[in-house]
This record gives sequence, C-alpha cells and structure tokens, in this order.
Amino acid sequence: MAFNDSDAALVAKADQRMEQALATRTVERDDYLDTTPAEPLSNRDINRMAVRSLALQASFNYERMQAGGWLYTLIPALRKIHKNPEDLSNSMKMHLEFINVHPFDVTFLSGLVLAMEQNKEKLSTIRAVKVALMGPLGGIGDAMFWLTWLPICAGIGAALALEGSLFGPIVFLLLFNALHFGLRFGLAHYGYRAGLGAISALKSSTKKISHAASIVGMTVIGALVASYVRLSTPLEIHAGQARIALQEGVLDKLMPNLLPLAFTLAMYGLMKKGYSPVKLIALTVLIGLAGKFFGVL
Amino acid sequence: MLVDALLIALLAGLAGVDLFDGLTHFHRPVVLGPLVGLILGDVQTGLLVGGTLELVWMGMVPLAGAQPPNVVIGGVIGTAFAILTKADPKVAIGVAVPFSIAVQGCITVLFTVFSPMMHKCDEMVKRGNWRGVEYVNYLGMGILFCFYFIVAFLPIYFGADAAGAMVKAAPQWVLDGLSVAGGMMPAIGFALLMKIMLNKNYVAYFILGFVAVTYLKLPILAIALGALAIAMIDFFNGNRAQPQPAATRDAEVQDGI
Repeated sequence: MAFNDSDAALVAKADQRMEQALATRTVERDDYLDTTPAEPLSNRDINRMAVRSLALQASFNYERMQAGGWLYTLIPALRKIHKNPEDLSNSMKMHLEFINVHPFDVTFLSGLVLAMEQNKEKLSTIRAVKVALMGPLGGIGDAMFWLTWLPICAGIGAALALEGSLFGPIVFLLLFNALHFGLRFGLAHYGYRAGLGAISALKSSTKKISHAASIVGMTVIGALVASYVRLSTPLEIHAGQARIALQEGVLDKLMPNLLPLAFTLAMYGLMKKGYSPVKLIALTVLIGLAGKFFGVL
Repeated sequence: MLVDALLIALLAGLAGVDLFDGLTHFHRPVVLGPLVGLILGDVQTGLLVGGTLELVWMGMVPLAGAQPPNVVIGGVIGTAFAILTKADPKVAIGVAVPFSIAVQGCITVLFTVFSPMMHKCDEMVKRGNWRGVEYVNYLGMGILFCFYFIVAFLPIYFGADAAGAMVKAAPQWVLDGLSVAGGMMPAIGFALLMKIMLNKNYVAYFILGFVAVTYLKLPILAIALGALAIAMIDFFNGNRAQPQPAATRDAEVQDGI
C-alpha cells in the first residue's frame, strides 16, 4: 500500500514500474515531428475521455495490465491532438506500454497526460509522469474506495436490504455512484486544467488524503464488525443448583460482541501470517460445522 | 426454467462486465440479490440473501490488483439457489463460495491468455490502426460477458434440482453449521481490510467504531459522519501544524486539492 510505505520503498516501486514500462516500449523517437501545441480540448472532449475511462480494464492482462483500456480512453483526444499520422502512431505506441493505475481515480492522470500531449511534450516526459503517479493514485484510490466508501455504502445498503426494504439496493447505488462519477468527471477536468502543477499538489497530499480516508474507514470497519459478525454460544455453566447461560450470563456482561471481535481479530492475525482468504473461508466453514456438531456454537 | 436461467445468465454477464468495466457496482450482491429475486418471482428472499452475501463480500475487493473470490457469481448463484431450494440465506453462502473461488481461478487464466493480444495491438498502432485497438477492448468485454453468461447458466439450469435434493438430504446439524459459518464469514472480509489498513495509528478509530455500535447502538451512517468530522479536524489541523519550510513552499498548490 502506497500510503503505508516508506519513501525509499516508494522510490523502489516507481523504479520497478519504469522498468516494466520500458520493457514493453516499441516507440523509437522521443519527440513529436509536429511540436506546435494543438488546439485546446473542449469540455466535451474531456467528458468523452472520462466516459471511456470506464473501460480501463476491458483488455486487462498480466503483461501490460490496463494498457489496452488506457489507450482506448485516450484515442479520440489523441486523434484530435496529433494531426501527423506518425506522431499519432508514436503516441499510441507509448500509451500501449505497461500501466497499472486505480480504476477510480485514473481520470486525474488521463486529464494530465492529455494536457501534456496537447503541449507536445517529449514522450519520455509523459512516460515519467505516468510512472510517477501510478503509485500515489493507487494508494489514494484503495484508501478512498475499497477501504472506505464501498464498506460505508454497502453497510447501509445491506442493513436496509436485510430489513426487507427495496431502498437497500437503491440507496447503495445512488450513494456509491454519486461520489464515483463526481470524482471521475471532476478529476478528469481538474487533471487537464491544472496540468503539471497538480503533480506536486497530489504528491504532497497523498499521505494526508489517505490518512483521512483511513480514519473514516477504520472507524466504520470497527462499527461493521460489531454490527454484522455473528457468533454466540449456547453453552451453560452448572454452578451447584444454578445454571448460567455462558452467553447472556457471562460473556455479554463482560462485553457484548466479545466473540465476534475475538474471531475477527483471530482472522486478522492469521491473515497477517499469510493465510489466504480462501483458506480462512474453509476454516470458518469447518469451525461452524464442528461447533454445531459438538453443540458449542 | 429455461427462460429464468437465460435471464439470470444475461444479468450475470452484464454484472461480470461491470465488475471490471463500468464499475457502477450494480454487480454487488445487495443489488444482484433482489434482481435475481425479481426474475425468480421472490424479491423479498432476494433482498435477504443479497444483504447477507453483501456482508460476506464487503472486504473482498481487488486491493492492489489481487483477485478475491468472485463477487458476481457468488451473488447470482447464491441468491438463485436460496430461492430455488428454499434454503436459509446463510446456507446460500456455503453454495456460493465454492463457485466464486473456482471462477476467481478462471479469471486469472483469462487475464493470462489475453496477454498475446497486446502484441497484436503493437502491430496495429504501428500502422496507426486505432480502430483495431478499440475492437480489441470490445472483444475483451465480450469475452468476459460470454464467460459469466455460461458460468451462471449451467449450474442454475442443470444443478438447481440436484442442489435442492442435496439440501433436503443434508442432516440438520450440517445446515445449522453452514448457517453459523455464514454469520462468521463477514469477519474474513473485515480482516482483509484491516490487514491492509490497520497499524498503531488507526487502532483507536477501530475501537471507537466498535464501541459506538456495541454500547451506543448508533447506526452506521451516524458513525461514518462522526468519523468524517474527526478526519476533517485531523486534515485541517495537520495543515496548520506542518513544519514551516514545507508549508510555505507548498502553500499555493495545496489549496488546489
């Protein structure tokens, strides 16, 4: 994760990405034949790019990751910018190199890259910007969407659905996509307008944005563990004449949701030891079956 | 049954594309559940199964590009089987998970065999053939659609009766055991998120969220907004407390974000 890495680790990762990009390089020139800046792109062009960015992972593969979809995102704008066919071909070659960005905040980078293409920057400069931003954008995207916004929306939607309300799926879709499409289009325009100045802003803010998102995410996950992990025991303790239910009489007095918390932390510990989610799912099923068979769960 | 299975397969195909392209997230179980329910004439059960499966998959997201058990097939098959066999929503998890793990494996293979297409694209852009690159991307989405269509259709069309018989024949403690395991399953997704995010800086917030539900019984949205307030205090105060040289140099660019 980019936002937990040290600076040295970030640099090493960026170096590795540059190697991956260069390994798939087919372009020979480093500058465009026609170096006069192209006409500025219109709002419609930027919106079109943002819509096409939805297909970023259409031709996903392990050799170049999202390269095919990334080029697909840029094609209409590149055709408008590069009137010289050889320039267009060279530009497309460069954009078909290895790239792995986050599918949610990718438009920030594509907007920025289009601003550079329009200025006819050198190919190596554009490549360097792509490589430099993959890591920070990945970190922010993970922190904002996978760790924070999706659990919040899904938690609210699932709660409503479990009550049998059709508002569950509707609220989920509206909430999630309000931020999703707001950012997708907003970042596309911001990246294009701000140009290279946005890079230092992004880099200095990466940690702070990720940190803020992590605060919200972690709080919500604590809440979700207490709300939705279900585990209790029907065991009873015999103390002379009295029979005390272990769950209501003892565990709940200690702290409600003690068993769900303990189980979640146990899963967390095993995962840190390198157990895969698939193994842990199998383990959970075994625990459930054994627990019912012996009557302890 | 054929029409139902075809409609569900169509839904699975579209949702499978949305998982990678589109990302509107109508492929999540909380949405797919009621949609499958609509096709099979039982929206209410669809909502319940969808909500249950949503919790199981909440943390299972493609973090840093790693593929988790497939959420689309899990949601579609789990809901369809729960409705067709009238099983408990939590038992549906036991049916859904093996399929979703197998599909996860297939997707990995799919992404591997698609690599050579990139060399075709290299040839195309050399000749300036941008339309060819577009077709390759449409092909990629088409393959995904067909794959999900088939994977969803076959077990629902051919397996529903067998699964129904199996659920009827299974001893009660097995069904109850699966149900208990289903209740515990969301912990795995949350643990996955915690593994990525939790370090000593964030333990305090985890405790805060846990206490807010366990003792204060607050709804999730209230807790999320409270956490947002804390994050904003942290964000803006952090700005002020930054070391002087860095603060002055970055002052004008930081306003941008």
